[in-house]
Amino acid sequence: MREAAIIANVKIAVIDEDVIVRDFIVSTLMYSVNRELLTFDDGFDAWVYFEESGFPDMIIADVNLQEIDGLALTSRVKKASPGTVVVLFSDSPGNETKAREQGSDAFLAKPFGVNELFSLVQTFVVEQDPAGDPSIPG
Amino acid sequence: MLRLGSKPENMREMELDDIFISRLQLLVIMTKSYLNKYPLGSYRERSILENAGFVKVDAEELAEDIVFFGWDENAQNGLNFEPVFYQRVKLLAVMAEAFAKGHSLEAHKKEALEKNLNTICEAITFSKTISDMQFLKVA
Repeated sequence: MREAAIIANVKIAVIDEDVIVRDFIVSTLMYSVNRELLTFDDGFDAWVYFEESGFPDMIIADVNLQEIDGLALTSRVKKASPGTVVVLFSDSPGNETKAREQGSDAFLAKPFGVNELFSLVQTFVVEQDPAGDPSIPG
Repeated sequence: MLRLGSKPENMREMELDDIFISRLQLLVIMTKSYLNKYPLGSYRERSILENAGFVKVDAEELAEDIVFFGWDENAQNGLNFEPVFYQRVKLLAVMAEAFAKGHSLEAHKKEALEKNLNTICEAITFSKTISDMQFLKVA
């Protein structure tokens, strides 16, 4: 059985002004991928960084952000870097449709836990076996 | 678009109790990975130390609340675990800090760790197996 591997040098950014939730997401993902993560507390700072330093492989952001909200950020990112996976999270059911309309790859409904974050890693950060090895879940 | 998390009717802001339970579940997975000899790496070690630190402080505060307010077995609000549960959680966090710092645990300590882990998992009804998380097997 081949072991599933994390995408080499994967870059993940987490954007949320709620530091308690953001730190929890960062702890879980840092442990999962064994890499440093980028963190921002508002959409504008994140956007400026991405434009100057390049887009990460995956962005996980709250819908409610200062300056540039998660929905607007998703739209911008998908235009500038279509390959970047964007995951939006929210406590409001109404934001799910909006996230889909902006091109978000996944929606995390609050409250969520470790299982959901591990599922994101498994789905978007693990290298998929081109031969379709069934031992590696997709 | 992939959808994960709570059902629409259950969606709400995440509270401190949600974060405590989620971080405790993460600590359980970290410990199970250690007991299964999954590889660590520098960021995983850092993550374990940070997470164990959070869980330890929260468990201490929740235990202090019980001392201050008393424990009502029938209370419906809050986490309402028995006082000894928080002592078990603190012990788990301390042992996690030890293995994250590279201290090897002797066989009898690993046995105690596993027993404590199982009791905590039962209390929080958490039965996640790590065998389906293949990415944890590589650092």
